[in-house]
Amino acid sequence: MMNLIREIWQSIVRRDPLSTDKGKTELVFLNVWLHIHPAKVKKENMKFRHTFYLGFITFFLFLILLTTGIALMCYYRPYPPQAYQDMKDLQFVVFMGPFLRNMHRWAAHGMVICVFLHMCRVFYTGSYKKPRQFNWVIGVFLVLITLSLSFTGYLLPWDQLAYWAITVGTNIGSYAPLIGGQLRELLLGGHSVGEGALIRFYVLHVAVLPAVMILFTIVHFWRVRKDGGLSKPIWKLKDKKEALVTIGAPAQVAPLQAAAASKDKTYGLMEVVSGKPIFETITPEEEEDTVFSYPYAFVREAVVLMATVTTIMTMSLFLNAPLEELANPAKTPNPAKAPWYFLGLQELVSHSAFLGGVVAPALMVLALLAIPYLDRNPSRRLADRKLILWLFTIFVVANLVLIVVGTFFRGPGWALVPPWVHVVGGAE
Amino acid sequence: MERRLQQIFFALSFLALLLILAAAWQANTPSWKTYQRNFLQLEAQEEPNAITKAAVLATPPEIHQVLLPGLQRVDRCTTCHLGVEDPTMKNAPEPFRYHANLGPHIPSKFGCTICHGGQGLATDKESAHGKVDFWPNPLLSKDYIRASCGRCHKEGEVPGVPELTEGHRLFETQGCRGCHKLNGVGGSIGPDLTSEGANRRAPEWLERHFLAPNEVSAGSAMPNFHYTKEQARALTYYMLSLTNEEMGSFFSSLRLIPSAGFGRQLFVEKNCISCHAIGGVGAKTAPDLLGVTKRHSIEWIDEQLVNPELVYPGSAMPEYDLETNARKALVAYMSSATAEDAQSILSNKTRTMTPEEIAIEAGKQNFSRFGCVGCHGTELQGGVANPNAQGGEVPSLLHVSDDYTKDEVIAIIRNGRTPPLDNAAGPTPPLYMPSWKSVLSDEDINRIADYLWSKQQKAKDAW
Repeated sequence: MMNLIREIWQSIVRRDPLSTDKGKTELVFLNVWLHIHPAKVKKENMKFRHTFYLGFITFFLFLILLTTGIALMCYYRPYPPQAYQDMKDLQFVVFMGPFLRNMHRWAAHGMVICVFLHMCRVFYTGSYKKPRQFNWVIGVFLVLITLSLSFTGYLLPWDQLAYWAITVGTNIGSYAPLIGGQLRELLLGGHSVGEGALIRFYVLHVAVLPAVMILFTIVHFWRVRKDGGLSKPIWKLKDKKEALVTIGAPAQVAPLQAAAASKDKTYGLMEVVSGKPIFETITPEEEEDTVFSYPYAFVREAVVLMATVTTIMTMSLFLNAPLEELANPAKTPNPAKAPWYFLGLQELVSHSAFLGGVVAPALMVLALLAIPYLDRNPSRRLADRKLILWLFTIFVVANLVLIVVGTFFRGPGWALVPPWVHVVGGAE
Repeated sequence: MERRLQQIFFALSFLALLLILAAAWQANTPSWKTYQRNFLQLEAQEEPNAITKAAVLATPPEIHQVLLPGLQRVDRCTTCHLGVEDPTMKNAPEPFRYHANLGPHIPSKFGCTICHGGQGLATDKESAHGKVDFWPNPLLSKDYIRASCGRCHKEGEVPGVPELTEGHRLFETQGCRGCHKLNGVGGSIGPDLTSEGANRRAPEWLERHFLAPNEVSAGSAMPNFHYTKEQARALTYYMLSLTNEEMGSFFSSLRLIPSAGFGRQLFVEKNCISCHAIGGVGAKTAPDLLGVTKRHSIEWIDEQLVNPELVYPGSAMPEYDLETNARKALVAYMSSATAEDAQSILSNKTRTMTPEEIAIEAGKQNFSRFGCVGCHGTELQGGVANPNAQGGEVPSLLHVSDDYTKDEVIAIIRNGRTPPLDNAAGPTPPLYMPSWKSVLSDEDINRIADYLWSKQQKAKDAW
């Protein structure tokens, strides 16, 4: 009997016991889910102050969002005004409904913040440099998908906050020349935010965007893995030569000549290749600095996962997600504000619709996408990259200042009102 | 280090478990369950023997709700207010007390919020009573609760609520529609009032506003009409009854029968007696209506009132634009009408009018119904303050024929006009003449001009 159980267990895990080094390696090799990890990782890469685990936190928040989101879908009808009534039902009659909705809301805000911080970390450590240029581009797309997911989700409660934030947000988009109006119409399924917009945003939010997000995430992770895991911490960089991200990429390699196929040849040995692969190979000295992924990397990731989950849960227990009155197209709040991460844009739009609403964001996205190709400096050391560090810092600070001004310093009629001054509404 | 990390991991996992338990505990102990337990204890006291007592106490807690599908309303008030329909709870403490004097308005059929306001979906006291942020209509206080009758009883007198009738009358005669839209008809100088009653958090505000608009809403263009306290209260009641919900059709689905009194009023108003007779009293052009409800089904009469030609091709009966409730009221009246009653209707009829008199009378009706009187006055005297307009007030219309031809006046009514400024650099005057061509037909406008001309005080005669 015990033999049978042991046999069944063996047939599932198929590896040697974890007490052996072989077993620790096979834990990763033989498991499709853990395969994204290498069998061994460099000690220095697990240091908290190297990455602050921001990428992991972002991913874990995404997992929380998937789980709670699927649960929320069971209680939600994407049709006005039932959508709003469903929010009230979640609040008042669904068991643990408020907790569920709060978790989804706070994790969503957290993901927007963490994905931005992760981008900053990758930038400041120069980890977008050769050969990781394209993974940075994928990362920028992941930022945009995160914002789109958050934006589409913002409409779903169908309250005044949602309705007017999306109205303002989509109006910003319509300033684009030629296609702006049509684009807005396509997104909203009409000329204004209504039933059509709600069902479209819902489909984008629960099906299209999550699928795209998962695909891009897979490619993002795969490339990190193939590029040798995390880039070397910048404090380990000693001179320019060592500054390259990839350990294995040879500096000067003669292009390989493809051998002309012989007429007589009837078979090929495709696994026989010449030259070094572009991904990581480890020298024996570096091998000294590595440890097994299990348990060293896994336990750290597990701690970060649980820290993320408990933080979101604690917030959800004490802070309720906002829900205002039922959406009312006839009653415009003054000022009507976009979601907070677009308030920087709205602030720009208030100065010039075309420059702030179209040119500036388009340039911002293009500049982000082009960074790895424009920045030809091979060094990752902070001292060698002063100019671009300044430029990026100005970009980040300008964005933050605009968001803070838009969020806290704008009152009725988009007039400059400090947050400590209480404005008395005109109507009541 | 590794050991420490493992300990942190387990500690955090344990914390996550505790947090889930805390959330579950929070979700499992809502205040309504406490109310239900207290109610069960109250009920168990009345039970004579221990077995039934235990059975009552063992009732599982559950949410009670009344669905009003046509209205998108779900009222969960009875989850805590458990005794509203139970006369034995007459002296029970709140929230369990019996609701006396309900008449036909049983909570299990009507819910609670259509009369009381508040948030029917909510299941805790604060939220349910609506005294929280972001809920547009909290519970109505005792002073205003009767205004809610007007949310369903739209036409005719509401018994016991003379304020509603008076408020409605003031609204239609004081020219409120000149500036305010109601159900799509009216000006756009002031806010649309179609759902005023659904969005007004504080009825007291409305009342103070009617007494002195500028005191509660600085810079308001609304003139002070110097209403009495009673008139302000009546208008407030009328405003509170405007919710833009499909109350009429919802409650007609409940088979409520509108009063025969209202039907008689319509019968007089639409001048039915000039073609029909009741029991031989009246005109003989159309069928006698005595006993018509016995000869035909209610559906047949209803169809006849909506579209006479559909029932009798070639029928001379005009199509009246009557609401469902109005048609029901007419049917109710016909089932009880007598020849004596027809006699009294006939005796009150004034002499017939000439076509010119009819045109002038129609113009007068339009002038008050579409709100012209709001600014120009019921006697065309004008005089409502309009800062920085020439003369500082809305002009009197008693002398228009001195300065304009009839066609010019018709053009001004059609296209609207901004008043000439007193001081060109000053602010725009709050009141202006709106364009009426999209609201009124040319014929209506001509009749208003006829009416104005009939009222001109001939300045030239004074020479």
